[in-house]
Parts: sequence; C-alpha cells; structure tokens
Amino acid sequence: MIGTRWRVAAAVGVMMTGLGVSAAAAQDELPGVSLGLVYANSYLPALAVQPFTGAFGGDMIAPQVEAIVGRDLRGSDRFEVIDSLPDAMVGTQVDYALWDRLGAVWLVTGEVEGADDGYMLIVELHDVVYGEVRDRGRFRLPAQTDDDFRMSVHRTSDEIVRWATGDPGMAASRIAFTMVGNDGNKEIYVIDSDGENLDQVTDYNSLTESPTWSPDASRIALASWKTGVPRIYEVDRFGTELRALPALRGAGDYVTPAYHPDGRTLAFTVNGSASQSGIFTYDLERDCCLAFLSGGPWYDISPTYSPDGRWLAFNTLRFGDNVPQVMMMPSEGGAAETLSPYEYGGSGFYAAPDWSPNGDLVAFHGRIDRRGRYHILVANLEDGGRVLRQLTSEGNNEAPSWAPDGRHLVFAGERSWGFGLMIVDVATGRVRSLLGGLRVDLPDWSPALPPA
Amino acid sequence: MIVRRFFVTVFAATLLVGACGGDPPPPPPPPQPDQDSLQRYNDSVAAAEAERRAEAQRLAAERAAEAELQRAVRAARATLEEMVFFDYDMSEIRDDAQAALRAKVDILRASPQVQIRIEGHADERGSTEYNMALGNRRAEAVRQFLSGFGLAENRFEIVSFGEGRPLQQGSSESDWARNRRGQFVITAGANAINPAN
Repeated sequence: MIGTRWRVAAAVGVMMTGLGVSAAAAQDELPGVSLGLVYANSYLPALAVQPFTGAFGGDMIAPQVEAIVGRDLRGSDRFEVIDSLPDAMVGTQVDYALWDRLGAVWLVTGEVEGADDGYMLIVELHDVVYGEVRDRGRFRLPAQTDDDFRMSVHRTSDEIVRWATGDPGMAASRIAFTMVGNDGNKEIYVIDSDGENLDQVTDYNSLTESPTWSPDASRIALASWKTGVPRIYEVDRFGTELRALPALRGAGDYVTPAYHPDGRTLAFTVNGSASQSGIFTYDLERDCCLAFLSGGPWYDISPTYSPDGRWLAFNTLRFGDNVPQVMMMPSEGGAAETLSPYEYGGSGFYAAPDWSPNGDLVAFHGRIDRRGRYHILVANLEDGGRVLRQLTSEGNNEAPSWAPDGRHLVFAGERSWGFGLMIVDVATGRVRSLLGGLRVDLPDWSPALPPA
Repeated sequence: MIVRRFFVTVFAATLLVGACGGDPPPPPPPPQPDQDSLQRYNDSVAAAEAERRAEAQRLAAERAAEAELQRAVRAARATLEEMVFFDYDMSEIRDDAQAALRAKVDILRASPQVQIRIEGHADERGSTEYNMALGNRRAEAVRQFLSGFGLAENRFEIVSFGEGRPLQQGSSESDWARNRRGQFVITAGANAINPAN
C-alpha cells in the first residue's frame, strides 16, 4: 500500500472565501499521485478606486463606469479592492498620503468625457508607494445603449490589470454554455464574464451541446441534434448559422468540436462511425482535408489544443468504458501518453480536459472521493501531470474551461441549492458564482474579445 | 268533444245502412299447396341459411385469424421496441438485455424489410461529453449483438443522446437505472413486421 496512498499535501496559505476545505479528508487510493489543495501563499496588494469624474456629459455615466471597473478589478482576484468611498472623504485631487494611510498600494483614477456619439475614458494607474503615475490611457466608449458599451469598459479594466501585473485580464470576455429549457431541450447561451447580458444564441428546439469559441471569438462551434442526429455547426454570437459541417465520415455522432489556435482547423469526434471512430480534423478554410488522428474500436473524445497548436489533450475510453482518462498527443496524431493518473487495470474517472492559454496547465474533472463526486483538477505539465491540484471540495463540479487570463476557470457546479456556473481563481482557490439556479452545463470561456 | 261524438254517431249509422245492402261475394278457394315446390322452397331456404352461416363462420374465423395476426404483429412490434438497460458507466449487454435482444433477433429474421435505429442513453452522472460517447458505445454494443446473429449491420443505425433525453427526471438510483438504456425506433418496414415463427 505504501506509495499507492494519496498523499494529501498540506494546504499552505489557503486563501479562500466561501469554500470550506478539509485538507485532511480521506481520499481514495490513487497510484503515484499526490493530490494537493495547495496555493501559493499569495499576498493581494490593495488597490483603491477614486470616484471617477466626468465632463461634457460624461458625469452622467462616470459612477457607472467606475462601478464596472471596480467590480472587474475585484473579479480579477489580483487586488484587495477599496472602492465606493464617499467623495467628501477622498476629494477630486489625488492625495497619495491619504491613500497610503488607507493602505492602498495602487490607485486608479478616471475621467469620462462626452465625445462624438460616445465618451472618452481617461484612466490613470498611480503607484501610491512611489507617489507617481505608473500608466495612463485613453479609451473610447460607445453610447450607453450600444451593445459594446460594457465590453469597452471591461477592456479598460483588463488594461489596468496589465499595467499593474504585466498579465492579461479576463473581464472583456464572454462565456458560452448550454442550458436546459422547460421543454427539456438544450440551447446555447452566452453571458458576459461579470454575469451581465445573458443572451440565448441558438433556438433549435433540440439538444445542443459543447459550444466552443473560435480563437477570434467571432464564431461558436457546437453539436446539435436538430436533424435527429448530432452534427457540428458554426454560428455567430447571435446564432446565425455560418456553416454545417457535412457528415464527412459517413454515419455517426459528430460531437465535441475544438478550434485549433489558427482558427482554420477544427478538431472533433466521430462516435459510432461504421468505418472509424475517434478524433478527426478538418480544414475549414479550404473546406477539405479530413484527417484521422486517434481512435479505433475505443472512443477518443473532447479534444483541446495547446495554445501553440502542437499538442492535443483529449479524453479516452480505451482503458474501459468506466475508466475514462485524459491523454495528450501531437496535434497531427501519434503516440499518446496519459495525463490523468492511471495505471493499467486500475480505476479512476477523469474527463473534459481544457488546455490553459498559458500552455502550462490542463484542467479536467475527476471522480475522486468515496461518494462518487466530481471535482475540478489541474495538472501541471511541467511535472508530467503527477501532481494534481484539486480546486473544488463540495458538491459536483464538471467541465472546466480556462479564462483568457490563464488563471480563472469557469465550470458547471451542482450544490444543495441547485446548479450554476461558477468561477474559481486557480491562484487563490477563491470560488464565486456566476449564474445560479439554472440547469447549465459545458461552459466555454471566450478568448479576450477584440473591440467590436 | 261534442263535435267528435257527433261524427262517430254518423259513421256508425252509415255502416249499418251499408250492411243491410246485400250478400257478400264468395271467398276465392284457397290454393292447393304443391308439395314438391314447397319442399324445394324449404330446401333452398335451408341451404341459403347454411351457406350464410358457413360464410359467417368463415368470416369470423378469418377475422379471428386476422385479429390474432394483428395481435402477434403488435406483440412483435412491442418486442422490437422493448428497451434494454445498462449498468453504471458500462456498455456491456446485461443478461436480462440479452434475452430481450434475442427475442428481437427472431422477429428481425422473419421481417427482412424492418430497419431499426438504436438510441443510446446515459444517466446524468459523469461528464456530459463522456456520456455522449457512452451512449454511443451502448448503441454500438446492441448493434454488434444483433448483427452477431447474422442480421445485416446496415439494417441498424445508431445514435447517442448522451444524458440529454432522460426517461425519468429524478436523481435517485432507480431513475438513473431507467435512464441508462437502449431504445429502438423502427425506421423502415413498420408495416412488414412478421411475428417470429
């Protein structure tokens, strides 16, 4: 038994809100793997947001813009955000001494000016400790009624994150997912990363599954049963159908599409083909060139590309129906190695891999406790996936998808109060709810959205 | 009332006057029955009756046979459409499912025009995309089982609905057990089902 027990690493500096973690919880046996609820002992610098000012009509929306920015920065999980302070307390001039006394390391100031049909948002990031402006920028905002208004503010928030940390943010993004309606059908919906603007995308009156964003976020590929059998379609964000992928391989279920980072190659699964089941790729641009990558009498499903496009992680049933495992292989096909902790003849259920945009981590879910519950796991490729980090510890948690910042994951959670989309910050382990109470599944986080 | 009584009285008086008018004519002689023709007549009636009865019996028997056949066809159809169930996370054909599938084989052999779509389903647990594959594995296992008895594979198409079309909405073990299933839809030859001999 020695060496086959799960070694539950001590939780070091676990910083979590709303997540009761029992690091000492007994786990099932898992050979050769240590499982840890381990977080870097992270320190979050305090960032203050001074009330935004306005001019030439911009004063009407300055408070709203400021609120969106404050919420985005809080959601980035990189700062302790100090905002919503009364004007009388902080004034309109920058007072570094005041902010220093309040404990702020960063200060964000903003001014909104009416300009043409929209506004100009001038933002400065101040280094309170050094008492100087670290960075500033001007961002054009459309009219408030414009579809892109909030996204434009989110892009500003992401830029502030980049100024302060050097890393990309994820506020200017959307999440596509499935939701079950009262009629039992599943359709695709999208929601902004901050939980606003819930929109229905498809209206097929059918089963619709596995939405996935194209790398430029202009398209969503999905599988729909609208003709009776599952086929792959591309739609735009408003559900307009751009393409129906033909049944290139004859009869079979065409499911689980995934875009190559080049945006022109689509990987997908054919299950139950009379000829060959498994993972295929198709050249969308040239509309040709079906290629078989992996599969056979067993099924390989749910492909996901590494950000450099050289590798594919996927889910396989090759070790048995009831022991699906996560593997990776070269993206042109070839020898595959297991990424999830599996030893031949062993047990373990791992599924739904998603490769991080930073390339170093692969997230998936696994059935890893005695009650048969599912939790979100992250494998680090640098140590060969032999150390898994468990990011959830209550309820059921499935189908993780990476945010464009490579740091947050959205997943489908099931709690005593119902279902919902949840977001976990991989660095701190903080979990928050994005959309609760609805029968939602298979979220896919978009890349950073370019200006409309 | 007075008026009516008046008319009755007048009518009775008229009858009395008429009866006193003279002798009635003699009645015509009754026809003498012709024994032979009577016999022929009776015979023909009996024969027609017998024939009608035989015809009725034949029709009844025909109807009964037809009803029996219809009943057998309905039973055969029900047998073809009978669901089979699977164990958790497995696509292996269980013993009870083998018996149900074996019964389908005999009917399919007797009904060469019949084609079937095998639908694989999974319960809600596990990964949604994995369940799409598992449902297909189950449908494929059923197709392999049936074609293992010499039935042409192209008589069967398969499709998985994953966990998306549950039979029961609940989340108990008994709900899940009902949702892990193979369903059968007759896609061709529905009017050419022959019961197994």
